[in-house]
Amino acid sequence: MVALRQAWLLAVNDLRQEARDLELVLTSTFFSLVVLIMLGMSFSALGISAQPLAVPGMLWLSVAFVGALTLGRIFTREREFDTLRALLVAPVERVSIYLAKAFVTIVILLGCCLITVLGLTLLFPAAQPFAERPLETFALVLMGCTAYAGVGTLFAAGLASSSGKNVLLSVILYPLTMPSLLFALVATRSLLEGHESFLTYLGQLTATNVIAFVVGAWLFEPVLVGVPQQRRGAARAARRRR
Amino acid sequence: MKKILPLAFLGAAALIFPVSVKTIFLDTPIEKQMGTVQKIFYFHVPLAWIMMLLAVVCGVAAGIQLRRDSKRAEAISIAAAELVLVTGLGVLITGPIWGHATWGKPWTWDARQVSTGLLWLVFAAYVLVRHYGAAGSERLAAGLAIFGAIDVPVIYYAVKVWKTTHPSNDVAGSLPSSMWAALWPALIALLLTSLALLIIRVRQELTDVTLDEAWIALDDAGAQPAPVSGDA
Amino acid sequence: MAAPDNNTPNDDYEPVEGLDQQTVACVRACESEAAAKTASDYEHIVWAYGVIWSLFAIYGVFLWRRASRQAVEIADLQQRLSS
Repeated sequence: MVALRQAWLLAVNDLRQEARDLELVLTSTFFSLVVLIMLGMSFSALGISAQPLAVPGMLWLSVAFVGALTLGRIFTREREFDTLRALLVAPVERVSIYLAKAFVTIVILLGCCLITVLGLTLLFPAAQPFAERPLETFALVLMGCTAYAGVGTLFAAGLASSSGKNVLLSVILYPLTMPSLLFALVATRSLLEGHESFLTYLGQLTATNVIAFVVGAWLFEPVLVGVPQQRRGAARAARRRR
Repeated sequence: MKKILPLAFLGAAALIFPVSVKTIFLDTPIEKQMGTVQKIFYFHVPLAWIMMLLAVVCGVAAGIQLRRDSKRAEAISIAAAELVLVTGLGVLITGPIWGHATWGKPWTWDARQVSTGLLWLVFAAYVLVRHYGAAGSERLAAGLAIFGAIDVPVIYYAVKVWKTTHPSNDVAGSLPSSMWAALWPALIALLLTSLALLIIRVRQELTDVTLDEAWIALDDAGAQPAPVSGDA
Repeated sequence: MAAPDNNTPNDDYEPVEGLDQQTVACVRACESEAAAKTASDYEHIVWAYGVIWSLFAIYGVFLWRRASRQAVEIADLQQRLSS
């Protein structure tokens, strides 16, 4: 309970800071819009029978791209001002930092998904079920974004703390989140086609969420805390250059 | 004794391999539905098993590395990840070869193929992070390996969750005893080869760590000023 | 010499039964299809096995080169320490 309360406070703090300049929200939602327009232009000629097969992919590809962008920047403040270390030594549960950052990522992704889902509903007739079944759509999008954030927050934090290169985030993130996105894809298609297995697929997606969050929370402290092998890394790099 | 272990494994694999080939091609009947090409199965399936085993080994070693800051576990993790890439590439190439001959389509996007490809990508990401990551990314890579190891059961249960065109898990279980007999020598030959390469790579990684420490010590010794004579 | 009369039994010739032209053509077609499939199957098998052992061999070469580089480094380090 303490961890949840601390997570909530950290998340509210982050959201309050974000509300001051809206940098992350505006850039991420604009990026979603751009991706939506590109998808619309690329697939405008798609026949009505092919659309239920393509629309789920468009939605979750959009989430994947926006998610990578968002996660790369969710720790920007901590990286720029080197405050992640301060956060780690502060008297807060480490897992609450993870939960707070994941929560902020989910909030931003949900905002981006709102634009993407609305846009897809307007652009493609086969996406009408999104508007006809808003509760199911919200549940699906929430579970999908949560799975993505659960996996991605851990690695975004790890790269932020190790002065790691951002390109590695994409290298790590896409393969790891693909199983969750695969479940989300299948669930979305069953929603669009009105399949009765939608709730089963949603349940499986929820199960991957649980796994992602449990493993992510468990690994957060071991991955972030410890003495970086700076000198060994420098020695290895120097040996490679010889 | 320890030094010759990988060579002993390779020697044993070299001896078992011709036995395996003889068993597969001369002693095992031809499968009725798929014909002769089904014989790829006897190497493809053990390779897939070895890939998943090595993925789990990598994940477990990464867990030990995180928990105990163990250099040996780190070396095992790296070696196992590289061998996952090698064996995984073998599975991903021989599977479509089998599929092309059997169903006319090399890649059918079914769950088992996709999940194996994803596992390969995760461990490729691990090797990239290990190679190009900054100092401190060793623990991040370890976290990645642990996630990858947890992905292994997804591969196993993917066949049960979705309907696929891939042969179900029950194929291996329903083989007649003569066909099972052909699987084991192939599995042992491939496993011994993989273990030999794993041991060699682990030793090389541990040597690399020792070399790093030696260079650091040399660097430190060079940086310290020589003691002035008379001081003692 | 008169041509053999079809109505009278002839001991030099026995009627061939069951192998009319159509059956023979069908059997030959099946045999050639089976032979083509077997040849194709063996080609696939050779490729598959070749790929597997090539991958192990390539990785073995990679390890061997790495070991050679390490040996050079160790020799260099020993030289520095002794000097």
